[in-house]
Amino acid sequence: MRRYVAILLAALLALAGVLLGLWWAPFVIGVALGALDRRARIVVPAGAAIGLVAWAIPLAAVHIQYGLGPTTQSLAAIMGFDHQRAVPVVVTLLVGTLLGATGAWLGGAAHSVAPRRSG
Amino acid sequence: MTAESAIAEPPAVMTAVAPRRRRARLPLLNLAGAAIVSAAVLYVSFFPVAGLPALGAAFNPTTGAWTMAADAQVTDRMLHLGGLQQPVRVVLEKDGTAHVTARTDHDLFVATGYVHAKFRLFQMDLLRRQGAGRLSEIVGKVALDTDRFELQLGLLRTAQLEWAQLPASDPLRDALLAYAQGVNDRITEAESTHQLDAMFTLLGYHPQPWTPVDSLLVKGDMTQTLNFTDTPLVMALLNKSLGTDLASEWFPILPPNQQAPYDPGPYGKVEPPQGIATMTAMTDAQSASAQAVYERLAALPAGLVSKGGASNNWAVAGAKSASGGALLAGDPHLHLTLPAIWFQLTQESPGFHTSGVSIPGTPGVLIGHNQHIAWSLTDAQNQQTFFYMEKEDSKTHPGMYFWNGAWRKYITVSYQIPVLGGATEHVTVKWSVHGPVISERGQTTSVWWSGNLPSQDLGVLMNAGRASNWQEFREALRGWYSPTHNFVYADDKGNIGLISAGYYPQVAKGQPWMPMPGTGEYDVTGTIPYDDIPQAYNPPDGIIWSANQRQVTSSYPYYIGTASNFFDPGYRANEIHRVLSQPGKLSASDMQALQTDTHDFLASEIVPVLLQSLSKEQLTPQESTVVQLLRNWDFRMEINSSAATIWSYFYGWYVYEVFNPWWKSRAVPVEMQEISDTLDQDLEAWTLHDPSNRAFSAPGVGSRSAADAQRAAFHKMIPQIAKDLGKDPNSWTWGRVHLRVLENLAEVKGLNYGPRPDRGDGRTPLAAGDYPSTHGPSWRMVVDWGSGTFQGIYPGGQSENPASDWYTDRVDTWFAGRLNPMLTAEQAAAAGGIRTWDMRP
Repeated sequence: MRRYVAILLAALLALAGVLLGLWWAPFVIGVALGALDRRARIVVPAGAAIGLVAWAIPLAAVHIQYGLGPTTQSLAAIMGFDHQRAVPVVVTLLVGTLLGATGAWLGGAAHSVAPRRSG
Repeated sequence: MTAESAIAEPPAVMTAVAPRRRRARLPLLNLAGAAIVSAAVLYVSFFPVAGLPALGAAFNPTTGAWTMAADAQVTDRMLHLGGLQQPVRVVLEKDGTAHVTARTDHDLFVATGYVHAKFRLFQMDLLRRQGAGRLSEIVGKVALDTDRFELQLGLLRTAQLEWAQLPASDPLRDALLAYAQGVNDRITEAESTHQLDAMFTLLGYHPQPWTPVDSLLVKGDMTQTLNFTDTPLVMALLNKSLGTDLASEWFPILPPNQQAPYDPGPYGKVEPPQGIATMTAMTDAQSASAQAVYERLAALPAGLVSKGGASNNWAVAGAKSASGGALLAGDPHLHLTLPAIWFQLTQESPGFHTSGVSIPGTPGVLIGHNQHIAWSLTDAQNQQTFFYMEKEDSKTHPGMYFWNGAWRKYITVSYQIPVLGGATEHVTVKWSVHGPVISERGQTTSVWWSGNLPSQDLGVLMNAGRASNWQEFREALRGWYSPTHNFVYADDKGNIGLISAGYYPQVAKGQPWMPMPGTGEYDVTGTIPYDDIPQAYNPPDGIIWSANQRQVTSSYPYYIGTASNFFDPGYRANEIHRVLSQPGKLSASDMQALQTDTHDFLASEIVPVLLQSLSKEQLTPQESTVVQLLRNWDFRMEINSSAATIWSYFYGWYVYEVFNPWWKSRAVPVEMQEISDTLDQDLEAWTLHDPSNRAFSAPGVGSRSAADAQRAAFHKMIPQIAKDLGKDPNSWTWGRVHLRVLENLAEVKGLNYGPRPDRGDGRTPLAAGDYPSTHGPSWRMVVDWGSGTFQGIYPGGQSENPASDWYTDRVDTWFAGRLNPMLTAEQAAAAGGIRTWDMRP
């Protein structure tokens, strides 16, 4: 239970960071999460989820507030994918996910090699 | 045990120890892997790689490119601008047309700067970067050649000189400073709210503060686009390859065809021009040097060298107007981009009451009207670029050139060009008295360009916009230098006028249409006196017009340029003159119809001759159908017209049939397309008045007449059209081959508009040359002082943000040939769907 609470808090922190313009917050939060729990099979998916949520929710908010249709179309055109409007959305969510996942992986890996406290 | 079996079966002690070591190494390997992957993810998130933007910075949903969604929404606002002295109100119509009402002139320009930057900051930044040679800094070495050339040509130097020479008391100084303040207020706001245009985010840079020099650079860009030409180099190459006799006959000073000058004289000075020589042969060294410079300029991106202009304007006096008030129409033809070069604006302050279009980056209205007068402009096209071959002796006088009897040192100016992803480029530009050296291949060549004369043209425009009658308007334009423009005028008293204001360089002697020796005898000595430049006021027939044609008749006593690619062939002017000259009164709707007139004047002259030439010819059924289509044609280049397509193919083939044998036999190094305007005129004149001209009997084709060449061209073009469009001539509609594209300014093809079939061609008042056509009426305006109606439209929209409704919202109206009302600030405030910005100090 404590694990889920920690992940939820981490996600909220990452989201707050992104909303404040600190778009790299999922990476930092991921590192912190990994430092707390070194089990890669848990922290990496958790970090990825945190990154995804922290970038997806603000994007959804933009969509609700302004509508993303013309913007996705424009960004796809700029990227050279004129008729594939999903590409910018996918790229955006992928980058957020990767930031969270790699941060958590790095934190967990560092935790694994840190000397353990004896006794 | 063999060696192989020893490897295959490790000793027992090893098998027991190895897993423990591996387990010990795994966390380290894991950490190393995590660190490498994390570093890679962070790197591509923070820094651009392999042409991709920094992915994290560019795509994050709060400060990245997604902010264009919020930027596209325009709401009522209350905002504070540091540079304001008094409150200002900006009303934005439902199409984004901005009405700025200020209590001081200073505040008017602060608010104008803010509004321009709000909607067009990236465009403004690109324009100043182009002029300052700083495009490589944001796009990499792909722009390096452009940057080098711009610094060499001297736009930055000239803009800096203009600013330095602007007196402290000059109102333009305050206007430029106030405007820069407004732009910078917006930059600060956009950065703090993460609302910079997405292109900044995607390219990964922040705009530098705007300065007055930047505004002068933007004006310099326009001057360059409109009047920096390579025509003297082309003439030199034609002279060398075709020979002096053919070159002087085919590329004369005066147009070979019948044109409609708006200023028929009489002219103040009666003496013929002094010191202008007839064409003489060039030396091999001169021609090699011209070839080197020509190739250098030809390699530059489109738009840096002017390739002939195309714009229309005209006015009708109150006496000939149905409403009783003067009428004015104007449609400058420029590269059609998204965003457009224009931003529609009304400026209201104690000193200004102007409405029209402005160029983002500059503080005033360029084309429009005030309470008493309306004006528009077309390019005057006179020669403003002269090439000089400097005399040097590297052994006895290194780094020097000979001028006016003495050896002189070049002035050198050094620049640095930061290059994205590469080393900073160092450029040193040499200047002679004539101007910058632009080539040292072969003979050193410098260029005298009127755009390098420091002038306060933006201030002149502001004064012209404050005029209330012809005398004030004409007097305000006395200080206008470059590019020379045909300023058409109509006022609320029924008066009309046209003056081709600007600098008309005069040389002491020599052949100014070709590169000249730089030793001093052939220098530019000054300009034509202002009272003698082409102009007319209230002509007796009540009409006045310009369409880049030569403004004056053959008796005009000054040299202003040759028929070759300085001036337009005159077909649009002839057509406009033909329509305006018809009996009866004219209305604003007639003006609107004429702006979208697709009648091809040249076709109306040549097609009847062609049909006559074919009258006794044996024709195939397909050819007979083609002839029938031409016979029934009204000479209008309409989308559904097959005859329009046939005509277009025919004249191209006719030009090719006549001139290509000459080009091949004389190895002419200039593309025919480059000088097609002049070849069109020649062929028109010979077809109509000299059908046995020696040009028809080119080497290798034997003796023949114009009719023979027409028949040959006709028979050759039919298979070509059939190959391109199918066998049935009735299906060869113009809309299948003639398309229009509005090109995204950042060259993002997916953000273009079109291609879309469109009417017109390069010779019709509705100008639409090339395939696809990317050039044309950039702003159509019609003013009727009798009814007090003002209308205008440009293709595109007020916003550069492609996610905004105001990116392309005016395009359909423009394509349909309709106009939008140009409201006053009061009318706009009372209209529906507006947004209001209250600006406070």
